[in-house]
Amino acid sequence: MKRLLLGIGNTIMGDDGVGIYVARWVKERLQSRPDLQVKELGVSGFKLVEEILGYDEVIIVDSYGAEDSDAGRIREFGPEDFEDTLHAPSPHGANFATALELYRSLQPDRIPKRIRIFTVDVHRTDAFEEGLSKPVREAALKLTETIVREIEPSDQCGQEPTRQ
Amino acid sequence: MKTVTIDPITRLEGHGKIEIFLNDEGNVENAYFQVPELRGFEKFCEGRPVEEMPDITSRICGVCPEAHHMAATKALDAVFHVDPPSAAKKLRELLYSAFYVADHTTHFYILASPDFIMGPNAPKAERNILGVINKVGLDVGSSVIKHRSDALDVVGMIGGRRIHPTCGVPGGVSKPITEEQRAKIEEIAKSEIEFAQLTLKLFDDVVLSNKEYVNLIKSDFYTTPTYYMGLVDDQDRVNFYDGKIKVVDPEGNEFARYSAAEYQQHLAEHVEPWTYLKYPYLKKVGWKGLVGGKDSGVYRATPLARLNVAEGMATPLAQAEYNRMYETLGGKPIHSTLATHWARLIELLYAAERMHELSRDPEITSQNVRTIPTAIPDEGVGIVEAPRGTLTHHYTTDGRGLVKSVNLIVGTTNNHAAISMSIKQAAQGLIKKGEVSDGLLNMVEMAFRAYDPCYGCATHTLPGQMPLEVSIYSNERVLLRKLRRP
Repeated sequence: MKRLLLGIGNTIMGDDGVGIYVARWVKERLQSRPDLQVKELGVSGFKLVEEILGYDEVIIVDSYGAEDSDAGRIREFGPEDFEDTLHAPSPHGANFATALELYRSLQPDRIPKRIRIFTVDVHRTDAFEEGLSKPVREAALKLTETIVREIEPSDQCGQEPTRQ
Repeated sequence: MKTVTIDPITRLEGHGKIEIFLNDEGNVENAYFQVPELRGFEKFCEGRPVEEMPDITSRICGVCPEAHHMAATKALDAVFHVDPPSAAKKLRELLYSAFYVADHTTHFYILASPDFIMGPNAPKAERNILGVINKVGLDVGSSVIKHRSDALDVVGMIGGRRIHPTCGVPGGVSKPITEEQRAKIEEIAKSEIEFAQLTLKLFDDVVLSNKEYVNLIKSDFYTTPTYYMGLVDDQDRVNFYDGKIKVVDPEGNEFARYSAAEYQQHLAEHVEPWTYLKYPYLKKVGWKGLVGGKDSGVYRATPLARLNVAEGMATPLAQAEYNRMYETLGGKPIHSTLATHWARLIELLYAAERMHELSRDPEITSQNVRTIPTAIPDEGVGIVEAPRGTLTHHYTTDGRGLVKSVNLIVGTTNNHAAISMSIKQAAQGLIKKGEVSDGLLNMVEMAFRAYDPCYGCATHTLPGQMPLEVSIYSNERVLLRKLRRP
């Protein structure tokens, strides 16, 4: 089985980088697993969907920002949760749901059987800065544990990541 | 007076809103375009090694990282006073041409074509790429996906990564390409040329064969006479990667021609109290407000602007299309904002042809791809044509190469004033006596969509959708009505 962990974000935009940090921390813990690939991505829409094609299972980690954001809250979604945005426009024309739908109709065999999306709520990502705010970092550590356990239930948990 | 706010704009990079002010009769009095600005970029860069700039700046935009990477790399050449070997310049241009193919393809099929293929008044649920594919067929859809992806593969081959290339270094590129890669690029480029021709045929069939659309393109409310700006080579032909910046006036006469380092002699930036946006304008003409014409320093830097300033295209098929566009629309310069879509497709064809030319260049697999810099770094400007307009990176450093100051004029910034003017003009033609429908608003949005504007797209937070909100205010700013699109 081919599995992908995809961290999305931008580490020079503060908390927007949370997905990237989680991906890096999980990679440190599970780097010996031959069936797991970990990638980082700083774009969305079409380019995002192109990255997940051909895998059996995909876990995406991203930041979440909306009116109901509560910094540090972890959420889990499936692609179906974004279907209400299916026909809604988004940056450069196609959001995740639209791009996924397009590929589903054009290349159905390459769509992963399972796609899970974990997010961490963030407040503000409009300033150039590095590092995560305290609540987002704590949530990112917790989410790292969750994902490690999901992928490798027998892994020794509770280790702190060595770098940020 | 009523205010109509379209917030945020659909199919726009980043978040933005349009405010349309109606007078007591319900007709458009004024229109403004506003976007929030990402903060602290210059401070973030200060004190960092300037060699990091191609990587940092490519991450400020999720759409055109290649353009920032290239402008930054050229600025580094200038900062370190180093001239890259010819093969390195050709490799950069080859990468950049491939990026243009992917970017212009994305814009046409995903942003622009729904308005024309589905129609500006089609229901929102159909006016998108999925509706387009349903209408034109899965084969076209597969071809779009393939050619976009192949072009990004070329970016990856030369740039090291498909999305955020890393090859640009002061004095050249970090690695040469192999003969095997070259042959693959040549094969891809050949196919991209055919794809670009098919896309132009689709534009012909759908847009140019439809009298209603041609009238829309030529209509007064999509026409804004301004100055135009773009890079040209030494034969006055369009060039995305290098050359002199040329400016023509609204009558098409040459107004200025200058090299990257001289940009501050020609451009100034106007600031309005109600927005963070800066409005670049031609210094020697002056700022006269959000108005067009010869006495106003407002200029445009878009695909259409590039074609307006040039004497032609450097490749044969694109040149034939260039001639056809000006013959069809009544000569140079063309002021119709919607003709930008046509110009963009001519550039798509040029980019594909240029990819093909460069892939067959005997020098392209040369191992000599870098001149090692030896001079003390100080200051440099790098300019390329981003798909959305002339992109300028200007850095100063101390003698150790640590950044002291940064100034960027990004593609869309050039067009801030013109975008507001185009929106106002379209709104004036389309909104009468306070009547505001979804279709009308979309046609107003079409005015700025032609610019392929890109703002503050450095973050990627989910859910990633931008619902459209329309707020209508009374003259006392009391909210009268609020409409929200999903």
